[in-house]
Amino acid sequence: MAPSLLILGVFVVYPIGISFWYSLHDWTIGAPEQPFVGLDNYRALASDTQFRNALVNTLELTVVSVVVLVVLGLALALALIGEGRMTRVVRSAFFFPTIVSLTSIGLVWRFLLDPDLGLVGGISSALHIPRVDWLQSTSLALPTVIFVDIWKNAGFVMVILLGALKAVPAERIEAARLDGAGRWQLVRHILVPSIRPTLLFATLILTIQSLQLFDLVYVMTGGGPLFATDTLVNQVFREGFVNFRTGYASAISWVLFVLIMLVSAVQLRVFRYDDVD
Amino acid sequence: MRKTIASLAGGALLLTALTGCSGGSDSSAGGPTELTVWTGFTGGDRPGYDQIVKDFNASHPNVKVKMVVQPWDTITQKLPSAWLTGSGPDIAAPSFDPNVIANYVKTGSVLPLTATGAGTTEINTDQIAPTLVKEYTYDGKLYAVPANYATLSLYYNKKMFAAAGITSPPSTVTELLADAKKLTNPAKKQYGLVLADNQTIQMWPILQWLQGGDIVDAKNCSVLQSAAGQASLKPWADAVAKDKISPVGLTGASADALFSGGKAAMEMNGPWAAPGYKSAGIDLGVAKIPVGVDGKAVTLGSTAPLAVSAKTKHPQQAQEFLAYWTSKAAQKKFSLATGFPTLRTDLATDPQLLANPVIATFTAQVPDARLYLPRVPQATQVDTNGYVPLIGKITRGEDIGAQTAAAGKTIDGLTGCSS
Amino acid sequence: MSTESSRQRRPGGAVHSARPAVVLKWLLLGAGLVVAVVPFLWMLSVSFRTEGDLFAHPASLLPHEWTLHGYGAVWQQLPFLRLVLNSVVFAVGTTALTLLLDSLCAYALARMRFRGRNLCFFLVLATLMVPFQVTLIPVFVELFHLGWLNTYQGLIVPRATSAFGIFLLRQSFMSIPTELDEAARIDGAGHLRIYAQVILPLARPALVTVGLLNFMALWNDLLWPLVVSTNPEMRTLPAGLTLFGGQHVTDHAVLFAGATISLLPLAVAFFLAQRSFVAGIATSGLK
Repeated sequence: MAPSLLILGVFVVYPIGISFWYSLHDWTIGAPEQPFVGLDNYRALASDTQFRNALVNTLELTVVSVVVLVVLGLALALALIGEGRMTRVVRSAFFFPTIVSLTSIGLVWRFLLDPDLGLVGGISSALHIPRVDWLQSTSLALPTVIFVDIWKNAGFVMVILLGALKAVPAERIEAARLDGAGRWQLVRHILVPSIRPTLLFATLILTIQSLQLFDLVYVMTGGGPLFATDTLVNQVFREGFVNFRTGYASAISWVLFVLIMLVSAVQLRVFRYDDVD
Repeated sequence: MRKTIASLAGGALLLTALTGCSGGSDSSAGGPTELTVWTGFTGGDRPGYDQIVKDFNASHPNVKVKMVVQPWDTITQKLPSAWLTGSGPDIAAPSFDPNVIANYVKTGSVLPLTATGAGTTEINTDQIAPTLVKEYTYDGKLYAVPANYATLSLYYNKKMFAAAGITSPPSTVTELLADAKKLTNPAKKQYGLVLADNQTIQMWPILQWLQGGDIVDAKNCSVLQSAAGQASLKPWADAVAKDKISPVGLTGASADALFSGGKAAMEMNGPWAAPGYKSAGIDLGVAKIPVGVDGKAVTLGSTAPLAVSAKTKHPQQAQEFLAYWTSKAAQKKFSLATGFPTLRTDLATDPQLLANPVIATFTAQVPDARLYLPRVPQATQVDTNGYVPLIGKITRGEDIGAQTAAAGKTIDGLTGCSS
Repeated sequence: MSTESSRQRRPGGAVHSARPAVVLKWLLLGAGLVVAVVPFLWMLSVSFRTEGDLFAHPASLLPHEWTLHGYGAVWQQLPFLRLVLNSVVFAVGTTALTLLLDSLCAYALARMRFRGRNLCFFLVLATLMVPFQVTLIPVFVELFHLGWLNTYQGLIVPRATSAFGIFLLRQSFMSIPTELDEAARIDGAGHLRIYAQVILPLARPALVTVGLLNFMALWNDLLWPLVVSTNPEMRTLPAGLTLFGGQHVTDHAVLFAGATISLLPLAVAFFLAQRSFVAGIATSGLK
């Protein structure tokens, strides 16, 4: 395991440490002087409305997409658990977006939803449905990005849960049915508890991914309009690479890092992930 | 046992790492000096720049310049760290926004250009438009040369003008507004004048100037919230929010797409856009920006900086290349090929350039051109945190008084305005 | 008969309720199917359309006039084979190395007892939580000091281990009964032999999963290759294709032709090996 740890150490842990060091300075890459400012960057964050906005967006995006994805993924998995030919085709179609890069997906959806040249706008104007500026509206842009995120990941969750559902012993289901359990009761009392570890795994992975969402936002909206879809990582990117405020950007990323740790710890606790052998 | 193997492997990795360290030596012993240039010129003007490089290589056998063209976004992400470590290109256009040079000057990653003068291998600052020289001079030192100098003109779709019964392009700002409204037809998804407000060459300052307003004053204090500032924004914000002369929140690329798709009748844009519009089959007209309420002409000038890495191993050759790039011969050829106005004062009246109507239109506006937030402290943040959000809000129907006041406060905080 | 018995084994289909519910289910799935597939069809279609056609008939899924100029432009402006080669070297090389290193590390975490093991596992998990953008600048500076910018090892080594892979493989290894190791150990096998001959063959599904997930992520990755390669000869396919997303590029056919091309290799692999893709991902959730 040494090589793995060495790589993780050199290319992940050490850079994280360095970035914390940056965050204690008014660090500008390349500048001759990097004045030490202690916790000033973190204090500035507290009153930075852009940071608060990005934080709220990120949390909203995470909560909505994770909840919808887990529920939708479970519903799809239950609906498509069979082995019929049609079922298999539908399953593959839902899974397909998983293998496509977020950048391509962002690009396609950005233009697909364009009211002037996209298919969605074209069809709705042919049907005389009023024009909707999905990505230009400050109230609709974030929900739209969340939708696309869900669209991409639903198949992934479905497939993961399918694998777990198939591993549920048939006898257990049979026994429940003999006890007169209805469809809903079967799901609620037998299936969901049986796949709990997998549900936790999916939730954890999705949460971490959502909290770090960047590519999709960057390609679809660039964080706009008016910062309506700005996420924390997008702000890290903007402060660090556009405004050259490396120290400040590092402080934001540290807040994000701690946030992810906290959320993961809470989830592990809530799901009582008794994994420690 | 396994652990030993693992640590051995780890050791080997470390060893490669250490030996890798000694690489990267200078191999300039024989053969021509190689210079790398990064630019983001992916538009229709790209062949013009390629030609400059080609001609330079042909006439300078001891130097070989390689220009790498990539999107501005990519350069923005890579250049800061690349130049910091000295692994980046010798020369680069860091952005299409001249203001970013300030960031690179602050981080000490650009070389002050000292090879200036009238000689053939020197950068002739006396013949480069003074606005531009001033823009790139910090504390008395020149840090970049203009890679180009463009003005914005009014592109219009002749077919759509004819269909609306308008015979000539607008010549005053009042006519511009009236025509824009007349050419707008929401039912047909047709827009009178597309106005991009983010990820774009700025169009809104032109409208403000035409209406007698501005963004900041000489002391870098916001004047957006002044009576004149608000009055200059109002007609156009209303025209977008209420009359729908343009979709809201357009990026530069999407505004261009609407115009080249025949969905927009007018757009203010630079000379780089013309080849694309023509190949899209637009019946294209190019006119000067209409005159303002005071009867005076004004437009936005745009220049991309070309700077040298502070860590280049070949500062002399790099500056020689910049001298060649801005030389009279190279610039004349460039203008003829691309339709760009010239950045040199000694070419402003060149008959061969003025014989081309497109170049003539763009060149005629050079004396009236103003840069966007020239030398305003933290200009990039004034743009992203102040001006762009302001335009976004007022075109979505929010109150101009309140929003200009808020933007003014943000901008004053950034520029350190001290009034 | 056989359908009957297999139906009983399926939890979801187990309770076959009244017909309307089935109809509703397939209606919903059908709608979902349209939403899932149409964007890709549209992407493919736009890559063959002219700009004028796109604006004139936005409601149409099919081109009215076909053009190959999008693909022509991509082909002309990119050193295409070189990009594909780089992508393959990067994605395949990194995936292979990751599988080796991750499985070794996972083995140690799952089967060996040593001080600081839990700390190690925690560290591995923690690295999963760091957004890449955070470490971007420090990593770049490190690579520079190693002289690894614009090299394959610079592209590969920093990515040659993934916390996610270690995590997954550890879970999978732990589900393999320890009795099997005991038996092997009695036969005189050391850790290395147990790892190679007992654990790895049994954990094949998990290895396939990690391999596939890594391969997909690497193939699609944009920012990393962009950062490591300052030289266009070292670009990967997606990174190379970003060239068409520029400031003044308004040609959608070219943009979408690029997107289609970068998607193609994975799509073909997916259709050829659909089952192992789906089975591979499915096992990732199993402990």
